[in-house]
Amino acid sequence: MSDLILAPSQHRMTKRVQSGMGGAAAALDFDAELMLRVKEGDGASFGVLLDKHRSSVVHFLFRMIQNHAVAEELAQEVFLRVYRSRATYEPTAKFTTWLFRIATHLALNALRDGKHDRLQERLDDDLGEVPARQVSDKRPNVEQTLVYQARLNEIRRAIAQLPEKQRAAVLMHKYQEMEYSQIANVLNCSESAVKSLLFRAYEALRARLAHMA
Amino acid sequence: MNCPLETPETANLLLDYCSRKLSPENTAIFERHVEMCPACRRFAEGQRAVWSALDSWEAAPVSPDFDARLYSRLETGPTWRERVFGPLRSMSAYRGRLAAAAACLLLLVGVLLERPGKPVAVPAPPETALMDVQPEQVESALDAMDVLSEFSRKARPENPESKL
Repeated sequence: MSDLILAPSQHRMTKRVQSGMGGAAAALDFDAELMLRVKEGDGASFGVLLDKHRSSVVHFLFRMIQNHAVAEELAQEVFLRVYRSRATYEPTAKFTTWLFRIATHLALNALRDGKHDRLQERLDDDLGEVPARQVSDKRPNVEQTLVYQARLNEIRRAIAQLPEKQRAAVLMHKYQEMEYSQIANVLNCSESAVKSLLFRAYEALRARLAHMA
Repeated sequence: MNCPLETPETANLLLDYCSRKLSPENTAIFERHVEMCPACRRFAEGQRAVWSALDSWEAAPVSPDFDARLYSRLETGPTWRERVFGPLRSMSAYRGRLAAAAACLLLLVGVLLERPGKPVAVPAPPETALMDVQPEQVESALDAMDVLSEFSRKARPENPESKL
């Protein structure tokens, strides 16, 4: 499929990606090709990557840290690191695996650095940052808003109570729709360990959130 | 089909089923099983509730100036603080291990410094100390002893004043 779309210069890049990643699925990782172009000095390709992954990285970090300002600060750091390490970039894995490995590393460090406690205290205050819920009648009344916020608060607390690695695994599985192998690569553990993490995490979430059905 | 909840290896298939990641054939097999198995039905219902709750958690949109801030940081390059502390930050995950390694190193240094076999400075015995005494000192000490014995002789009971 990519043969039909890519220019001749991009064909060469695809071949390099194929040889570097050693698999047909990996060859389809257009992001890795973009990153290789960034490596060769093409700033516009970095813009394309930023445009494509900005929201998913910020949202992942927001759900990990539960503070929008800190999540954006960390997301900036993620893209800064991506850009600054362009010279040494090698497409040995999917680009998103690398991207989320950086994001997860920064999020876990931020949580361990003690920002976590302060952030948890601000959990309630932070609800004001959440955009107005788009319910079916498009104009939620006060009661609906309060019910939604209480429900949202409960979900956020349930996620925040998960151990850090379980939380990261659930967020990548649920919102980024990553495969077990990719999550394992990000968290630097085995695929069976990821399955076990997810099973325990969802078990805890079912206990806390099943009544919301 | 055996209940997937019976073994941890197959329990994740239920998660895949609930997140619609199974093939249509496997989904059909699971649906037939879930209809008959109350435990799996409870699991699937609970998982669907969690899934729907998580779906309702919308993240706030990214700030409009996100890119502008990022590009301005890219243009200015790393700050002096990032240059100095940047490499150290990556070690923060190993802080506990580093502290343990430092403690072990200190302990090792302590053991090596205090290891047996090292000559220890022991104070010289009294005999050795006597060897250093000069003859003049011995002579004056003997004179002093003579004076003392003379004094004690005079202080015997026949001298009533000494009792006082």
